[in-house]
Amino acid sequence: MEASRETLPSAVLEQLMVGYQQADAVATTALIEELSPQLYHFFAAQLGNREDAADMLQEAWLRIHRVRHTYRAGEPLLPWVYAIARCVRVDSYRKRSRIAVREVAVEVLPEPAVASDARGVLPSFDQLIADLPASQREVLTLLKVNGLSLEEVAGATSSSVGSVKQKAHRAYERLRSLLQSPTAGKDSTI
Amino acid sequence: MNARELEQMLSSRQLPPFPQERLKRMEAAVIADLKPVRPLAPDGAYLAGLAAIFVAVCAMGAYFVGPQGWQALSVLRKIAVFLPLTAATALLVFSLVRQMRPAAKHARSSALLSAALFILLLLLIATFFQAAHETAFVRSGLVCFRTGMKFAIPAAFLFALLLHRGAALSPALTGAAAGGLAGLAGLAVLEIHCPNFNVYHIVVWHVAVTLACVAAGLVFSSVTFRRWTSNH
Repeated sequence: MEASRETLPSAVLEQLMVGYQQADAVATTALIEELSPQLYHFFAAQLGNREDAADMLQEAWLRIHRVRHTYRAGEPLLPWVYAIARCVRVDSYRKRSRIAVREVAVEVLPEPAVASDARGVLPSFDQLIADLPASQREVLTLLKVNGLSLEEVAGATSSSVGSVKQKAHRAYERLRSLLQSPTAGKDSTI
Repeated sequence: MNARELEQMLSSRQLPPFPQERLKRMEAAVIADLKPVRPLAPDGAYLAGLAAIFVAVCAMGAYFVGPQGWQALSVLRKIAVFLPLTAATALLVFSLVRQMRPAAKHARSSALLSAALFILLLLLIATFFQAAHETAFVRSGLVCFRTGMKFAIPAAFLFALLLHRGAALSPALTGAAAGGLAGLAGLAVLEIHCPNFNVYHIVVWHVAVTLACVAAGLVFSSVTFRRWTSNH
């Protein structure tokens, strides 16, 4: 169920974080470069909009910078980082919802064509998970895109490992049923 | 499609390209503001600090306004009032300590459990105390409310002082919980001090101290956080 993480080992990341707390510019740069792509993919996979994902990444780093003293050396870093990222995403969603209520749509723009799998049959990851409930989409993104372990996802989402497993299982079941439907790969809504 | 095929499909996903120029800008902004920071104290320090403030406020209440209520309460009533009050306080302290840093578990659930215990306290008060006729219900109630707030407000100030470095992710929850803890301190002082055992007096005026503090904490933290986010 877990994907291999394409980042440095946790212990190295934790050392970089301690360096960041001590104002070590080299460690800070290394940490930002290491975590930013993963955070960006976390936001992009859930929003489907790359410009918004980049904005949220920037907001996430501002928030991390502001609360960097709340990390304690020796504790797992990734759940701490993703808990902040989740909070940024939720705050941003609320903010957008407030703005959306005030905006009046004048015209419905056509949806851009969705990139399909290289074989031209299977939908992309973003398409696949778009139809999942938010909590399942989040867990699946953290597990499959960010490569976090079940324990790390549980830490980041302030829930239990059992709850994470259950959400992942339900997400898999739902994906399977979506892929088996006759419109899979053709209809952009899945 | 079997589980293996699905797993393979999810693993062979196409990730969007990462905007490198924005990364460089973010790095430059972070590096420009880089200063050493002192990590948060261990959970035990916050636990001890919150508990010490709570006990000190209750002790000062008993000393300055007198323990007439405590002396007049029967053993059964003491248990019915102070056992759930202590349990609710302990859970709220635990919740606040967990809220200090991101990714800590049981912060929300222990706050909810504390709220449930507070409701249990109200039910026990309604069971163990009787209604009595009062000629000055509002006047004597306001005296109690003011006395409770006199101790709850300094407690809230001290809690805020202790908690201000952490609790950055759920300011509304933290504000409500810290306000609730200060309100429980005010309520505890009133239960120790007030010898008026009219159930309506306790449920309306004593409990109002806690509810007012929760509301004030919620509003204060939300406004402070909104200012904080708009400045950054």
